[in-house]
Amino acid sequence: MNVAQFRADLRTWLEEHDLTPGPDHSLDAQVAQLARVHRALYDAGWMRYGWPVDVGGLGGPAILRAIVGEEVVGRNLAEPGPYSMVEVLAPTMIDYAPAELAAEMVPRLLSGREQWCQGFSEPGSGSDLASLTTRATPSGDDWIANGQKVWTSFAQYSARCVLLTRTSPGHNGISAFFVDMDSPGITVRPLRTMHGVDEFCEVYFDDVVIPAGRMLGKPGDGWRLAMDLLPYERSTCFWQRIAYLYTRFDRLLAQASAPDDSELGAAYLDLHTLRCRSRTTLHRLAEGERLGAETSIDKVLLATAEQRLYDTIRDQLPGVVELDDTPWRPEYLYSRAATIYGGTAEIQRNIIARRLLDLPRE
Amino acid sequence: MIVDVAMNTESLQLLAEALRKAMTAASGRELDEALARLGWLDMLSEMPDTAIPLVFKLLGETNAHAPLLNDVVLRAAGRSGGGTVPLPFAGGSWVVWERTDRASSALDTDLPIHRVPDGDPLPLAAGRRALGWWLVGTSRAMLSLARQHAVDRVQFGRPIASFQAIRHRLAETLVAIEGAEATLHAAADEPDDLGALLAKAAAGQAALTAARHCQQVLGGIGFTAEHELHRHVKRLLILDGLLGSARELTREAGAMLRAKGSAPRLANL
Repeated sequence: MNVAQFRADLRTWLEEHDLTPGPDHSLDAQVAQLARVHRALYDAGWMRYGWPVDVGGLGGPAILRAIVGEEVVGRNLAEPGPYSMVEVLAPTMIDYAPAELAAEMVPRLLSGREQWCQGFSEPGSGSDLASLTTRATPSGDDWIANGQKVWTSFAQYSARCVLLTRTSPGHNGISAFFVDMDSPGITVRPLRTMHGVDEFCEVYFDDVVIPAGRMLGKPGDGWRLAMDLLPYERSTCFWQRIAYLYTRFDRLLAQASAPDDSELGAAYLDLHTLRCRSRTTLHRLAEGERLGAETSIDKVLLATAEQRLYDTIRDQLPGVVELDDTPWRPEYLYSRAATIYGGTAEIQRNIIARRLLDLPRE
Repeated sequence: MIVDVAMNTESLQLLAEALRKAMTAASGRELDEALARLGWLDMLSEMPDTAIPLVFKLLGETNAHAPLLNDVVLRAAGRSGGGTVPLPFAGGSWVVWERTDRASSALDTDLPIHRVPDGDPLPLAAGRRALGWWLVGTSRAMLSLARQHAVDRVQFGRPIASFQAIRHRLAETLVAIEGAEATLHAAADEPDDLGALLAKAAAGQAALTAARHCQQVLGGIGFTAEHELHRHVKRLLILDGLLGSARELTREAGAMLRAKGSAPRLANL
C-alpha cells in the first residue's frame, strides 16, 4: 500500500464528504458526532484499513490507521480522546477475545454503532494498578464481579466494558472480561472534574454475572492484556493527539496579536520533537518491532509538550482562559492532567530508569 | 580507502570501528589527517547521509575533535572541502575553526577556534545537522559517565542510583537525547532548512539539559579537572553556539511561525 497515495485519496474523500461537527459542543453532541464520523468512514472503507479481515477490516499496515486518525482529528472532525479509544480497544479484542466474539463485536466498534470503555483504575489502584481489588469469582459457567472502577472514560455512553478483575493474588491473578454494560448490577456515575466535562465515570459492579465465554484470554492474563495495549496507545493514539495539538497551535497563531517569538518557538520545538519521536515509533511498529518500555519516552514528551503548549496559549492570549468562556478554558484545564493519566510522569521516569537505563532497583 | 556507495551493514560496522579507533588514538590535526586517509572527503561527497551522523556522533562519544564542520559547510555551498571558512556563531559573531593545533582562547582550549571580523552567508542546514549529531554524541557520553557514577557511588549505605531524585534526572536526560535524535532522523529523511534548524535547536537544548543533570548527579567529582565531564560541558557550549544557539534558533523558528501564521507539519509518516 502506497502511504502517500492513501493519504491523498483520503483527503480527496474528506473534501467531498462534509463531516464538520455542528454548533453543539456538549458531551452528548461530541459522542453523537464521533459515531457519525465512524459510521461514514466505516461505510466508505477508511475506518477498516489497517484492521484484520477477520474482524471486518480490509487489512494493510497499522500506519494507515494513524493516517486516518491524523486527518480526522487534524480537521477537528472528532475529539482526539474518544476517537482514539478504538485504537486500544480493538487490538485488545483481536489479541485476547475468542475469535467469534471478536468477529461479532469489533465491527460494531469500528463502525460507530457502539461505544466501549475500559474498566481499569480503581479508587485504591491508580499508579499501582496491579493492586486492584474488583473481584471476579467463578459460579457455575459464569463469573460474578464485585467492586468499583473510577476514571472510566465514556462509561455512560458505552455498550461494553473491557474490565480488569482480581481472580487470585498477585500480578498473575488479574483476569480480563468483556462485559455488557446493560448487565444487572452495574451502576455508572459521571465524575465532576475541574475542566467541567463529565467524560470520566465511576462504575460500580454489584454481583454482576459475566458468562465464562466473555473472558479475554485465560485466567491471569489481565495484566499482560493491560501492558499489551500500551504500544497501541503510544503509537497510533499519540499520533492523533499530536495532530490535534498542531491544530491548537494554528489557532493560537491565528488569535495571538503580538506573540513572543521565543515562547512560540519553544512550544513548537517541543511539539516537533514529539512528532519526530512518534514518527520513529510508528515506523518501528510498521516494521513489526515489538514496542516496549521505550514508549515511556514518547509519553513523557507528549505530556511535556502538551502542557507547554497550553501554558504558552495562556501566556500569549492573556485573559482568555480566566475571563472568556471559550473552548480554551476546558482545554487548558484538561492539559493539567496530561502528566497524570495513562501512567504518571513519575511512573514513566521510573520505567525509563529501570528498564532503559538499567539502573539497579530502588 | 575506497568508499562504496552501497555499503552493507558489515562494512559500515567496520568503518565505524576504524573511525572510533582513529578518534580514540588522536585528536585535532592528527585526527584530521587520519580521517583524510580514511577517506572522509569521499564519504562526505558520496554518502553524506551516512557519513555525517556516523562521524559527528562518534566525535561526541569519544570526546575527540577535528575541524570537519568546515568540510560539511563548504560542500553544502558547492565548494570543495579541506580548507576553512568563517562560520557564524551565536550573537552575530563569526569564527574560524583552524586546521591546526594552535592553542586558542576558546572556552574549550583544545579547539582551535577564534573570532574573525565577519564572513559570508552560507547554507547552514547540513552543518547544523552535523553539529546536532555531535551534540547528541556528547550528551550520550555525559549520560554514560553520570549513569556509571550513580551505580558506583555509595552514600547512606547504598548506591545513589537507588534514589529517585537521581533516577529521574538521568531519565530526563535520556528523554531529551532521544527526542533530539528523532529530530535529526526526521531532518535527514525530509531535507528542509526548518527541519535542520529545529534539529540543531533540539540537540543543543538536549545537551544543555544533559550537562545540567549529569553535572548534578556527578556531584563533587564532576567539578574536578581530573574527571572527564568538564571537557564535554565546555565543548557542548561551543558546539551550541556554532551556527546558532538553541535559544536563537528557537526564537527564529517562532518568528517564522508568526510570519507564516500556521505551524508547519514536518516529519510526515
